Amino acid sequence: MSELLWAEKYRPKSLDEVINQKEIVERLRKFVSEKNVPHMLFAGPPGTGKTTVAHALAHDLYGENYRQYMLELNASDERKIEVIRTKVKEFARSKIAGEVPFKIVLLDEADNMTADAQQALRRLMELYSANTRFILTANYPSKIIEPIQSRCAVFRFTALKKEDVVSRLNYICENEKVKCHVKALETIYDVSEGDMRRAINILQAAAAVGEVTEETVFKVVGLAHPKEVREMLQLALSGSFVEARKKLRDLMIAYGLSGLDIVKQIHREIFSTEIKLPEELKVMIADYIGEIQFRLVEGADDEIQLNAFLARLALVGRKIKV
Amino acid sequence: MPWIIKYRPKHVDEVVNQDKAKQALLEWLKSWDQGAPGKKSVLLHGPPGCGKTSLVEAVARTLGYELFEMNASDSRRKEDIERLAKVASQTSGLRARRKVILLDEVDGLDPRADLGGVEAILEVIRNTRNPIVMTANNPYREHLKPLRDVSEVIAMDRLRETDVVTVLKRICQAEKLQCDQEALKEIAKRSEGDLRSAINDLEAAAAFDGRVTLETVKAISTYRNRVYAPWEALRKIFSSKYVFQAREAITSTDLTPDEMKTWINEHIPSWYDNPEEAWRAYEALSRADQYFGRIVKTQNWDLLSYALDMMGPGVAFARKTYKGKFVAFKMPERIKLLAETRKSREYREALAEHLAKRLLTSKAAIKSDVIPYLRIIFTSNPKYAAGIAKAYGLTEELVTWLAGPRAKEVLSYFKKPARKSKST
Repeated sequence: MSELLWAEKYRPKSLDEVINQKEIVERLRKFVSEKNVPHMLFAGPPGTGKTTVAHALAHDLYGENYRQYMLELNASDERKIEVIRTKVKEFARSKIAGEVPFKIVLLDEADNMTADAQQALRRLMELYSANTRFILTANYPSKIIEPIQSRCAVFRFTALKKEDVVSRLNYICENEKVKCHVKALETIYDVSEGDMRRAINILQAAAAVGEVTEETVFKVVGLAHPKEVREMLQLALSGSFVEARKKLRDLMIAYGLSGLDIVKQIHREIFSTEIKLPEELKVMIADYIGEIQFRLVEGADDEIQLNAFLARLALVGRKIKV
Repeated sequence: MPWIIKYRPKHVDEVVNQDKAKQALLEWLKSWDQGAPGKKSVLLHGPPGCGKTSLVEAVARTLGYELFEMNASDSRRKEDIERLAKVASQTSGLRARRKVILLDEVDGLDPRADLGGVEAILEVIRNTRNPIVMTANNPYREHLKPLRDVSEVIAMDRLRETDVVTVLKRICQAEKLQCDQEALKEIAKRSEGDLRSAINDLEAAAAFDGRVTLETVKAISTYRNRVYAPWEALRKIFSSKYVFQAREAITSTDLTPDEMKTWINEHIPSWYDNPEEAWRAYEALSRADQYFGRIVKTQNWDLLSYALDMMGPGVAFARKTYKGKFVAFKMPERIKLLAETRKSREYREALAEHLAKRLLTSKAAIKSDVIPYLRIIFTSNPKYAAGIAKAYGLTEELVTWLAGPRAKEVLSYFKKPARKSKST
């Protein structure tokens, strides 16, 4: 038996299946029926359906094989504007066969582009506006430069409501014949912060572990973030630098985490209740881990920088114990 | 005949102060009498002039072996490799003398230029019927790892000053030279344990006027630029009293600055047990590392100088009080782990790339929001996991990586259903 990931399986294919973002969907339907679409900017928190809606729109416009009329780019994977330019250029060159007189370029996570790259993107949008339409998605619309915003119809996606997420999760449970407690589904909503994709991922993992109870949900969420990060911090704080370094290496090998991944998790852990630290120390450590992240971005070596961090923890850990 | 050849030890007993290496090499060679041992090659390493080649020659002679000698960097030439392979594969017949093959200076193989050189030697080792001894100054270059893995690794020490003096005296007697004790000591001191350079200096001093005095020695011999083994350089860095010493030590090995960085990274905690000193040392290394990052980014090699300042003196003067001590600096764990880390990261990247298209999201989101949950499924529900693996056409490698300890179970389901459907 082959099993799909539910995040894919239960993704709405058409605008008709989208239950949230009612006003937005309403307006988009109109575009579809007129077969005319402006450049658009979909803005809103992660997991609120921006990308899904973009695909559903294209599906409704072009039919089942819509993907041949849509160029999908992800700005966080393709940071080089040259790459984007070349791909758009090639895509826009070919003629359109169907009845819709334009093709769609979907540029996901456009707020990850630098201001310079966005300027170049603006020129691209103008250059190819005769036969392409751009749909940009962004978590933070303020990070999109004004000239682009003014060329786009802006749609603001709102965070999903608790009852919507829970009822969707419940629907999935029934469909998959999985035993789910309502309390557990509510917990999933709480920990996923309104992010539908994450909520569904948690649900599927919990269902794989066993009955979906509050307990399994917490277990799954705990497991998803390797506990080695916390253990590493605790070892360092107790002064066992060498042991902590070993954990760091485990994380990089077993989980394939990069230095940046680990830095972000450390940041999360420092403020969690699991790590007992005086408040002002948490602030100091947060500042230092920020510095480490900056160094990594500048091209420094993952392990050496994190070792420096752990060595510092070993030092402050000793001081607070006295 | 140059003295370094004339006075090569003829018998193992003439080899000074390498008892451990001597013993190990002798035992290993003797074990060939009972047929080829588990490891058919030896990697003999030590600083220049400590007597690696001499030791092999002396041991061979003492045990009555015929020595077949070849410089490893010749091994890239096809005909040389063929010649080597031929010698190695010969059995020592009743009449022929037993052979030992000496491959000198394997660390001279350039990983880029001699691509395949290491592989060729490995192949010869696999098929050899005769003992093979390789020598190297620094056996820890990454590209030598395959050779290290298949070989018995034997270390030789840098000679002490007194050892060098002993040998020099012996030569003085044989040459009927009048040699001042002070002069020999000075030569030995300047040689820093490199017997070859000491004998050369002695010969040069003697050529001056038939006797060797402190004055002549001072007049002719100059300090050489030495190449140190990584652990020697580390010792020099950590125990340096002046900035210039630590700075010199950094570039005194044949490691690249990047490799040196890895050695220091490994051994800061071996040397510093005071957490404050350890942190200060790491902070200095981290600064050096940042300079390296900037060099790579901007190609501004002027910055290298600052990187080296922080790596050597920065790390050395992280100490608050000076303590002389002895620490055994082992091969960095990280060098061994590097390949594994790289592999793991590649799997994660490949999986993210694969799933991003299906789940309509970025690779970054797959890594942070999908892979962690996939791992849970793969480690807690093998049967279900196998279903997912199938739906997404994951390779067995990826399944193994995701499932970790439960890889076997997932794989067994992963492969099963095809068979089942046939039988029903």
